[in-house]
Amino acid sequence: MEWKHRHVLDLDTWERPDLQHILEQARSMDELLDRPIKKVPALRGKLVVNLFFEASTRTRVSFELAEKFLSADVVNWSASGSSTGKGETLRDTAWTLEAMGADAVVIRHGAVGAADYLARKLKKSVVFNGGDGAHSHPTQALLDLYTAWKKIGPLEGKKVAMIGDVLHSRVARSDIIAFSKMGSSVVLSGPATLMPRSVEALGATYDENPRSAVRDADIIYLLRIQKERQDEGMFPSLDEYHQLFGFDAALLKHARPDALVMHPGPINRGVEIASDVADGSQSMILGQVRSGVAIRMALLFVYLGGVRQ
Amino acid sequence: MKILFRNGLLFDGTTLSCEKTDILTEDGIISRIGKGIDDEGANEVYNLSGLILSPGFIDLHCHLRDPGQEWREDLLSGSRAGAAGGFSTLVCMPNTDPPVDNAALIRYLLEKGEECEGSRILPSGCLSRERAGKTLAEMGKMAIAGAVIFTDDGSPVSDTNLLRLALLYSSRLGVRVMEHPEDRSLTSGAQVNDGICSTFSGLKGWPSSAEASDIFRGVSLSMDTGVPIHFTHVSAKESINAVRIAKASDCKVTCDVTPHHLCLDESMVIGSGYDGVFKVTPPLRSASDTDALWEGIRDGTVDAIATDHAPYHLDEKDLPFQESSFGIASLECAVAAVLDEWKRRKEPCPLERLLSLFTSGPARLLPEKWRTLGLIAAGSPADLTVIDPAFEQTVDVSKWKSKARLTPWNGRTLRGWPVMTVVRGKIAYSLIDRVSGGK
Repeated sequence: MEWKHRHVLDLDTWERPDLQHILEQARSMDELLDRPIKKVPALRGKLVVNLFFEASTRTRVSFELAEKFLSADVVNWSASGSSTGKGETLRDTAWTLEAMGADAVVIRHGAVGAADYLARKLKKSVVFNGGDGAHSHPTQALLDLYTAWKKIGPLEGKKVAMIGDVLHSRVARSDIIAFSKMGSSVVLSGPATLMPRSVEALGATYDENPRSAVRDADIIYLLRIQKERQDEGMFPSLDEYHQLFGFDAALLKHARPDALVMHPGPINRGVEIASDVADGSQSMILGQVRSGVAIRMALLFVYLGGVRQ
Repeated sequence: MKILFRNGLLFDGTTLSCEKTDILTEDGIISRIGKGIDDEGANEVYNLSGLILSPGFIDLHCHLRDPGQEWREDLLSGSRAGAAGGFSTLVCMPNTDPPVDNAALIRYLLEKGEECEGSRILPSGCLSRERAGKTLAEMGKMAIAGAVIFTDDGSPVSDTNLLRLALLYSSRLGVRVMEHPEDRSLTSGAQVNDGICSTFSGLKGWPSSAEASDIFRGVSLSMDTGVPIHFTHVSAKESINAVRIAKASDCKVTCDVTPHHLCLDESMVIGSGYDGVFKVTPPLRSASDTDALWEGIRDGTVDAIATDHAPYHLDEKDLPFQESSFGIASLECAVAAVLDEWKRRKEPCPLERLLSLFTSGPARLLPEKWRTLGLIAAGSPADLTVIDPAFEQTVDVSKWKSKARLTPWNGRTLRGWPVMTVVRGKIAYSLIDRVSGGK
């Protein structure tokens, strides 16, 4: 298909066929991961720079594996702090990377808009957003779609219950948009203080009662609860959170019997998720990690593999 | 020095006449208004056929960054920029470094302002000492030195007792208190409107209630003391409603709105891919808030349009959204942006109302001695702005006289521009050729 997006910044302007195309590409990549020798020469001679301003293990490693399996040359650019702090600005870093001939830059940054900003400054390189502040994490959303799609097939008409801190979650924003575009309905639950003001505009609904939110759900997606939100007074205590919204076997009973349990990781056992369901048969948490590599290989291939004009 | 302006459509501060009128200025004062004034003795003559001749526009709220932040702007660049934007008078805000909280700095601004070739500079002074919001600044001395407004702009006066004392203390000085309405406990860490923009961006939302609640508080104090209060850069529907209700109860409350809140909304923050050029306090609001501001203009709730021109160096502004500085620079296109938007909205109010919000509206909020700046009358200062409602021009920020190098309107073609600015009887800016003179 003709691929019209120049970068992967967020999924706001993507359409269902775009998402579907990446899912299908990911399936081919997934097959590669089962081979004894995983490396293919698809991106030989391409330079990919991983530019991580924020601590990240799984996203960075996942991208790096994907790049290496496709035989790209990989550079991990060490960067720390904000671009306004000591050292060079993001603008100068961008120009430096382009001067070095980067074909793609993967950026993780604490500031909303950092990936968009980088894309505006780079004339040639493709930008992959590895997470910008609480705004967007498109590759996570794609890997979540892929995980669910691979397991249960078409996502049209499926119900996704998402529980937790939606307000501060880039994963939630991207996943709500992605699942909605695939035709799923998304119901959010959690304390009202952790919800954005206009959830309907994102394509979701809000139900403060987690039991009714989870009722007949095909997918339960749990979001990480950070202790610092308690310190900020967003909710009274982690213990109360777990009692009211923590996901456990009792809550899982309200969902469809074969419902998938997902979480972007790292998980807080005993807070947003109880160990019985995190380690249970319906948990997809490790499957998501594997999907992450496949989906990032698919994206790198579509953007850098010569398929694109 | 005599200058004759011929055949202008006269807007006298209240009414726009459709008859051609001549104005003669003499040594900085308007000496004659009439038809067919003889050009004998005039040093310069300008033909303003088809153009609106208005009292000089007054910007009640701009940041000229002088003293102490001259890499962003200074009085000279700001004054030139103001004139190029059609403003004959600029009221500069006191949140400088050091803050303008004493008579010596008021005098500095007035003296340096005298040397500027562009807009007239009228300084505002801090309400509190060091703009720290703790104790009253020497408002009496500043009033005598020439301060025209007291404000801690950039910050609200969070201490309610201090705001009450400031109203009482300033009431005999003839200088109005201007409050930057914001409840800081609701805006800590906030970056964008609490609504669609905060929802999509994940940036912390700045709720309308943060502004409206401070206005309700100020209105109570004004009613309690009987002293007028002015709210600046009012941006939200709830806030406009609060002002409207207060005015209906005979409270002496006034407010201004900015060109960017009239012309831009939060969807542009998202649509631009979170371009920091759209980052401002209070944030760009929803489209319905923008509509409410225009309704406030139409029904008389709004008293002035003030730019809140907030220039920054490129390096402080050209950053990822979350790291960019708050503030929109607009001095040189603000009038055009508003006229263009007014046209685009199919003229939601009479043109004369819109013009009054740049002239007699803000002039009424200044101390008694400056109120004649907002009208055209024989004997009043020869501060004039000429508007060409049909002129189209593309905004090119790289050519600005301001030091700002980013503005949301860059590259936009706007219709309706100031084409001449006269300050104290001198041509401070002009796109119009002189027809004769030079005697």
